[in-house]
Amino acid sequence: MTALTTIELVGCWISLALTICILSFLYEDNPVYKLAEHLFLGVSIAISVVEIYYGVMKPNLIEPLLGGELLSLVPLVLVVMLFFKLHRKLSYLARVPIAFIVAAYAGVKLTGEANANLMTQVAQSMPNLSQLWADHGIWDWSADGAGVFSGIALVLGLSACLLHFYFSAPHKKAMKYVSRFGILTLMLSFGASFGYTVMGRISLAIGRAQEMMGLDKAPAVAEQVHPKTATVLLTIAVIGFLVVWKKRQKTA
Amino acid sequence: MLDLLIKFQDMDRRWVFLGMGFAILLPMLANITFGFEVDERVQALYDEVEALPAGSTVLLSADFDPASRPELDPFFRAHLHHLFRKDVKVVMVTLWEFAPPLILPTTEEIAGKHGKEYGTDWAFLGYKPGKELAIKAIGENIPKTFPKDSRGNVTTALPVMQGMKQAKDFAMLMSVSAGFPGTREYVLQIQGQYNLKMGSSCTAVSAPDYIPFYKAGQLFGLAGGMPGSAQYEKLVFPDGPPTSGPAKGERLLATQAINVLNLGHLFIIALIVLGNIAFFITRRIEDQG
Repeated sequence: MTALTTIELVGCWISLALTICILSFLYEDNPVYKLAEHLFLGVSIAISVVEIYYGVMKPNLIEPLLGGELLSLVPLVLVVMLFFKLHRKLSYLARVPIAFIVAAYAGVKLTGEANANLMTQVAQSMPNLSQLWADHGIWDWSADGAGVFSGIALVLGLSACLLHFYFSAPHKKAMKYVSRFGILTLMLSFGASFGYTVMGRISLAIGRAQEMMGLDKAPAVAEQVHPKTATVLLTIAVIGFLVVWKKRQKTA
Repeated sequence: MLDLLIKFQDMDRRWVFLGMGFAILLPMLANITFGFEVDERVQALYDEVEALPAGSTVLLSADFDPASRPELDPFFRAHLHHLFRKDVKVVMVTLWEFAPPLILPTTEEIAGKHGKEYGTDWAFLGYKPGKELAIKAIGENIPKTFPKDSRGNVTTALPVMQGMKQAKDFAMLMSVSAGFPGTREYVLQIQGQYNLKMGSSCTAVSAPDYIPFYKAGQLFGLAGGMPGSAQYEKLVFPDGPPTSGPAKGERLLATQAINVLNLGHLFIIALIVLGNIAFFITRRIEDQG
């Protein structure tokens, strides 16, 4: 393992410092958090501009134009027309490229949604119960609970959810219970989504903690970076700053 | 007791953050291990990759950013090791502008360890904006969508791209997806249209949306969030962190993280249970006057 360069070491420490600055928001909004947030935004925009230039503009527009492909003038003109949005009197010119974008997206979305999402998923909402019985029986623990019970629960839950949003009949008598079952099904779905979301957010925190503990680096690299020492020192520095900042706020 | 319950309900949220911090750091310091099982969806994903013949080519769309790195990078690394050790060729693209600085060094490192040559065994065609339109274009004509690769080579001149004009020419499409555009858009735009064999690794937030695609057979396998990555790592490296061979030094970060995740979940569950108990008891006491 070769020794890390000074710039690489400084980069690792800056990464840790910015993580602690962002985490300081958990205490409350403060200047070091703002600094890290603004840096993040600036760097994000810079990366986007560079990637779009080298990944899109250069190979698809500039190089073909320099090579004499006059057809590339069409997208160039459309791009220029988009910027007329900034001009008060000529802003109507921007409608042309926007119309292209909207039309293309609408066309692409419509076919994709209809074919792969609507048709396939509607077909899947009508399970073949005899096949489910043959493959999994009533309930198969080894296949995420697949089976006849889940098949029937899917059909009943889906029907109840759809009926919950059917407003041409009053939600009284039998419809009241069907509607409540629909709400129950929706709540189960939201619960599952919330559970996954919590897991995702904790995973992100773990990712940062792994970096702060040096677990994401090879031992030879971690020995050079000293991430634990850096984390402790930088945390003390940020806490110190927050104490001074709070005192100044109180005196002001 | 009542005072304690009332105080618990009005607890400063910063105590929750502090508690979560301890719940995350303690298992890392104490090296606590809970263990975990591989679920059906991840097993199906692994089996499909395992069944690929040597020499076949996979289209890998790596669509993630630094925010989703902890969840997806472990899968991405394990997947590359899995493909390269089976002598499967990899053509990589991305629809996320923040992905290239993350995925390119990783791929170069892992390909280098396996002795794979750029252009012959793998290639990175670069970033393409346009979201669903770009996916549609990948389905129709890859060399036209990516005239040059990330190193400036003409795509059609790359040996790995010979005979690979459309997405359907590849043995499979693997989407490592942190959101939009990603797995969902690939399924909607090209999986169904070209009947592609497609798998996915996604963030935990996206997993509930993609499970119906797996159930419908539109995805052959799905690794959701950090547990999905950890399970895939377990299948690719069944003996734990490799101590020899090309994968020597792999940290298996998702496997490490799964123990921490378990304790974090227990902490959240405890708070929810305690919060509900406190709510119902105080409401009952208030109702009684």
